[in-house]
Amino acid sequence: MSENVNKTLTVTIDGIECICEKGEYIFDVAKRNGIYIPTLCRHDAFDNHRACCRICIVELKQRGRTKIVTSCVYPIDGECEIFTQSDKIREERAVLYALLAHRAPDAPGLGQMGTALNVNGVDRLVTIDNEKCILCGLCVQACSSLGTGAISTVNRGVDKKVSTPFDKPSVFCVGCLSCANVCPTNAIEYVETETTRTIWNREFELQFCDECGTLMGTRESVAFAAADVELESPIVCDECRKKKLANEMMITYRFV
Amino acid sequence: MTDSEQISKITEIIEAYPKDQRFALAAMQDMQHAFNYIPEEGIAALSEYLACAQSQLYSMATFYKALSLTPKGEHIIKICNGTACHLRGSMNLVTELKRDLGIEPGETSEDGKFSIELVNCLGSCALAPVMLVDGVYHNKLRVDQVPGIIEKYANAGAEGGEQA
Repeated sequence: MSENVNKTLTVTIDGIECICEKGEYIFDVAKRNGIYIPTLCRHDAFDNHRACCRICIVELKQRGRTKIVTSCVYPIDGECEIFTQSDKIREERAVLYALLAHRAPDAPGLGQMGTALNVNGVDRLVTIDNEKCILCGLCVQACSSLGTGAISTVNRGVDKKVSTPFDKPSVFCVGCLSCANVCPTNAIEYVETETTRTIWNREFELQFCDECGTLMGTRESVAFAAADVELESPIVCDECRKKKLANEMMITYRFV
Repeated sequence: MTDSEQISKITEIIEAYPKDQRFALAAMQDMQHAFNYIPEEGIAALSEYLACAQSQLYSMATFYKALSLTPKGEHIIKICNGTACHLRGSMNLVTELKRDLGIEPGETSEDGKFSIELVNCLGSCALAPVMLVDGVYHNKLRVDQVPGIIEKYANAGAEGGEQA
């Protein structure tokens, strides 16, 4: 019986006592208590995190031992002390930033951070010009969790990149921009004109609300979302649909 | 092989496996074996059969070195470039092969006969340098032996080469 009951634990994060349940991730507990841990590849939209950028590392002191763990996927399993800004963590995090910034010099924010941190020894590594991607794979996770699965990581090692199969325009892509929106470094490029959107080498026609003319997304993405809940593709935006429904209700219940 | 033959062969390979995503790699290995590469149609058919994304299979196919998306040659030459072989001059073998066949590692000769691959260790360091042609080991190889071996395979034709 007692094993099934989630025991609450008290852990100390940067000197602040936090109450949490066994199995909760350090990052989540810290966030709930207003303690900031920097991260790139963690996104609230997903339950399972990538633990790929390693920026969210923290120092964990438990049973007299200290170790460095990635806070986004480390479940708290007992009383412990956690330090998010110790000297060691600052140093290691600086190296990680510098490495990522060196790979992706054009990633917004990362580049400046890399040079500002003044980490030695990174210069001997090859840098990729105009690169923004840090290969965290959030975009791939977003695409596959949507059910489109148009992009994936291809090749391995130094040739690894995110792309559609055979680098061709994907028939499965709906142009919803989920991949571009979750990207921590804005690495996924797309072009939008007044009536079209081009992403992953494919051009999509944009759909506007029949009533008010707001942008609803690409035709494919609107149809895809509707098909997901087994509805016909809508021609008006959410706001207008609600307004219409409210008006109908008003007429129906006019006398109430 | 005609298109319809290829499609029926793909179907045969795929349907030998239960509809479960864990068989994706096995099915792709079979395709690689049957065609010397994985055709685009193969990936499309497999993704439909296993109900998984094409991008996922493409990701796997590009990840594993044993799988190729471009047609490989009839005879696959693997040159070991592990530490022992490297020190005993495996790169000289690569240069010699380039002279004979005109292709670099990772490429396939124009007549579709040979592909050269560099591999990291074949586990026969005592026999270094090692060259593997269609699974047959050629050990303690000297550069001047290479043209003879290549000629043997070039003349043997598809059936002869496989038995060699």
